[in-house]
Amino acid sequence: MENNALVVKGVDVLYGDVQALWDVSLEVKQGTIVSLVGANGAGKSTLLKTISGINRARKGEILFSGKSVTHLKPQEVVDIGISHVPEGRRLFASLTVLENLKLGAYPPRARAVFGESLTKAFDLFPVLKSRQNQKAGSLSGGEQQMLAIGRAMMSQPTILMLDEPSLGLSPILVKTMFDLVASLNKQGVTMLLVEQNVRQALKIANHAYVLKNGRIVMNGGGEELLADPEVQKAYIGERWRKK
Amino acid sequence: MFALLSVQLIIQLLINGILFGAIYGIAAIGLSLIFGTMRIIFLAQGTIIILFAYTCFWLFNLLGIDPYLSLVIVIPMAALLGVAIYASLFTEAAANEDRNISLLIAIGIMFFLENLMTVLWTGNPRSITTPYTSFVVRFAGIGIPFTRFTGFIMALLAAGVVVLFLKKTFIGTAVRAASEDIVSATLMGISPHRVNAVAFAIGIGLAGIAGVDMATIYPFDPFYGFIFVLRGMVALAIGGIGSVEGALLGGIILGLIESLSSFFVPGGWTDAIVYLVFLIVLMWRPEGLLVRSVKKA
Repeated sequence: MENNALVVKGVDVLYGDVQALWDVSLEVKQGTIVSLVGANGAGKSTLLKTISGINRARKGEILFSGKSVTHLKPQEVVDIGISHVPEGRRLFASLTVLENLKLGAYPPRARAVFGESLTKAFDLFPVLKSRQNQKAGSLSGGEQQMLAIGRAMMSQPTILMLDEPSLGLSPILVKTMFDLVASLNKQGVTMLLVEQNVRQALKIANHAYVLKNGRIVMNGGGEELLADPEVQKAYIGERWRKK
Repeated sequence: MFALLSVQLIIQLLINGILFGAIYGIAAIGLSLIFGTMRIIFLAQGTIIILFAYTCFWLFNLLGIDPYLSLVIVIPMAALLGVAIYASLFTEAAANEDRNISLLIAIGIMFFLENLMTVLWTGNPRSITTPYTSFVVRFAGIGIPFTRFTGFIMALLAAGVVVLFLKKTFIGTAVRAASEDIVSATLMGISPHRVNAVAFAIGIGLAGIAGVDMATIYPFDPFYGFIFVLRGMVALAIGGIGSVEGALLGGIILGLIESLSSFFVPGGWTDAIVYLVFLIVLMWRPEGLLVRSVKKA
């Protein structure tokens, strides 16, 4: 139990009368990468939003380091160390790169070590340093994704939740993105990754969950799920099978 | 002779428009800030401007405090009132993101204050008369009324301070971020209540300044305030919502339109023209006439 950074227990989420998640449970162990895969509309983003407090769980419980975070507001969730990079990045387009990074360090705990975090972010993404006074909206797609992750890292998270980080990126940048996820993880950041790029997401994951129509239908080691014929058929497709 | 007179006249009209337009600009900046984080047009803004015109009137009549000196009291008072209004009336509606309720609350505040002011000060127009009320600086046949000029300078200074606050302070940056994407802002750790309260403090603080401006320039009555909301909305349509500079410039352009049209077309048409401009701008460039559209990240 101690080495579970995040535990989701039997969570139901509804949008109005429409149920989006049914009895979803998962565990993210400290220091691991956990991938959440599934088709469009399966409820992956909904689950991340529920963990970060944007959506409310109707039933069930979410624990972070053993403490309940089920009823916390988003601003409180990031304060205790869960950082969420939402789908579509959601940068502040009219603010500069530097201002976006500053806001990433908004929680007082993170503000105290702002200088240190900024150096780290610039080391990680040198391009952000050279563009720090540019508006975030003027960056390329790849740079924007780097800024989104850099901004999330500014809050000194224990666990980083990434929603579709490879979306809209060129194949080379997709590879860079997954390398980055692995390297951040090596630096000690626990990762909960939502991806449509199922093959890469499973390859990199210590553990993975498959979400279908709002329910967890399968879970196991990343490589194990990657080898599963059903997963291959449903999410990866013929062209990948031979590789 | 006639040509010279016309040039002077045109210059005079332009100056009048710019000087009075700055007050619209101040009202528009307040509306824009509150709209930014709350996503409602705060309809009571103009009535609160009048409330502070009366405050200035009272401070002058009862305590003999000079209107410009009263700013030292009025600005902090107005900012505090802004926070108090948000904290007492809007917190619940804002937490539920219920904009219809928020709008109704704003309307309620407006009617409540209008009637409260009528009880306190009657419906008869009030004005402040100081030694400098009718002082006009003249050169080359052009007159610049002192109080209007001071009001203009105050508006510029206030806009400048707000711009600096939004750009240079951490909480100011957070307000700008929340205006752009409130959900993303909360993911950064920003509390919506905090930024809403700050927006109200600045917005109503500016209403305090506009109130003092108003009191030194024109007679006013309890029901005169709503026009500032209407004019503020037109100014925002012209200048674009979400930028302080745009709102101020929009107000000034509106002042110019008013000043010129009130001279060149028969009376009564001015208002029709102002709202026609409003509609045309909304139809043609709903993001604001002066705004270069920013690519969404």
